[in-house]
Amino acid sequence: MSKEKTKKKGCVMWGFIYTGAFIAAFAISAIIKLTYHPLGDKYTVHWDETIGKVYTDLSYGDGEANKFDLYVPADATQETYGLAVYLHAGGFTSGDKRDDADMLKWLCSKGYVAAGINYTLFSEENPNANIYTQSIEIRDSIPFITAEAEKLGYKLDRMAISGGSAGHCLAMLYAYRDAEISPLPVKLVFGAVGPSCFYPEDWGIFGFDQNPEAAAAMFSVMSGKQITPDMFGTAAYDEAIKDISAVTWVHENSAPTVCAYGAYDKVQAFPASIRLDVALTEHQVPHEYIVFPHSGHGLQNDNTLYGTYMDKVKEYLDNYLGNAAGQQ
Amino acid sequence: MTLTQKRLLILLAIIMVAAVLGRLAVRTVLNMLLGGALFGGNFL
Repeated sequence: MSKEKTKKKGCVMWGFIYTGAFIAAFAISAIIKLTYHPLGDKYTVHWDETIGKVYTDLSYGDGEANKFDLYVPADATQETYGLAVYLHAGGFTSGDKRDDADMLKWLCSKGYVAAGINYTLFSEENPNANIYTQSIEIRDSIPFITAEAEKLGYKLDRMAISGGSAGHCLAMLYAYRDAEISPLPVKLVFGAVGPSCFYPEDWGIFGFDQNPEAAAAMFSVMSGKQITPDMFGTAAYDEAIKDISAVTWVHENSAPTVCAYGAYDKVQAFPASIRLDVALTEHQVPHEYIVFPHSGHGLQNDNTLYGTYMDKVKEYLDNYLGNAAGQQ
Repeated sequence: MTLTQKRLLILLAIIMVAAVLGRLAVRTVLNMLLGGALFGGNFL
C-alpha cells in the first residue's frame, strides 16, 4: 500500500472518530442535562413501610376524577397530624396526582398526612370544567380527606396546601378564598408558577394585552363566566374574575406563603405574580416570593434558587404546620 | 508534537465543544417551550 493511501485511510478513520466523538459527547451531555436532579436526594425519600403507607384512588365525589391518594406516616402514635395537600400541574387540562408521588412521599416522611387530589380536567368530554369548578372540587374534597384520615387513625387538626402551576393556582384559591370555610385551619400555602390573577395587560405572553377579544375568550373558558372585551378595566370584570383570582382574596389573616416564579415564564403571566407579592406585602402576610431571574415556567435555569425555594418550604412547614411530632 | 498528539488534542476539543453544545441545545429547547434566558444561572 502506498504511503499516500495509508495517510488517506488514517484521515478517514480520524474523521469518523471525530464525528462519533462529537455525536456521543453531544448526546451524553444532553441526557445528563435532562436527567440531572439539581437537589440530589435532599428532598426525596426512599419509600418503604418504615416511612408510611399509601392508599390510592379514594373517592371524594361522584365525578370520575374525584379521587385522591392518601400517604399516611408509619408513626401513628401522634395525637394529631397536619395535612399536606399537593395539587398536580397540567394547565387545568392534563396531569394526575401520581405525577407528584415523590413530593407527597417527602411530605409524608416529614410526619404529615399527605394527599394528592385529582380534579375534573377541561377537555372535550368535560367542556364545562374550568378553574372555578376545579377549585370547588378541591374545596369539597378536604372534608372527605379529613374523614378518611381519621378512619385510618390519623386525626387531622391543621393543613397546608400546595401545588405546581395549575395546582398552585388552585392551592392559592383554597388558601386565600376558602380558608374560612375549611374544616382544617390553613397554616401555609406554597407552590410554584401558579397564575394568581387574570388581568389582560399582564398576559402579554399570549398577546392578550393587544387582543382583548382573545383575552375575553380565554378568560371566559377559564372562569366559566361570559366575559366580553368591553368588561376589561371595569368593576364588572373584577367581579366576574374574582372567583378564580387568588390575589383578590389575600387579606391580613391569609396563610403564610412560599412561592416561586420564573421571570421569563411563557406559560403563565409573570407580572401577575408581582401583584401577588404586592398583595401579600401590603397585608403583611409572612411570605417568601422567590423570582428565578433566568428561568421560565419550569424554573429550569436557576438550580441554586430552586434549592433556596425548597429550603424555605421546609422552614415554613416546620414553623407553621409543625414538625413530625405535631408541635408548632 | 506528533501527528497523533495533535489528533488527540483535536478530539479533546471536539468533545468539549460537543458537551457544551449538547447542554445548550437542551436549554434552548426548554427555553423555547417554557421561557428562559440562554445564559446565566446554571452552568449552561
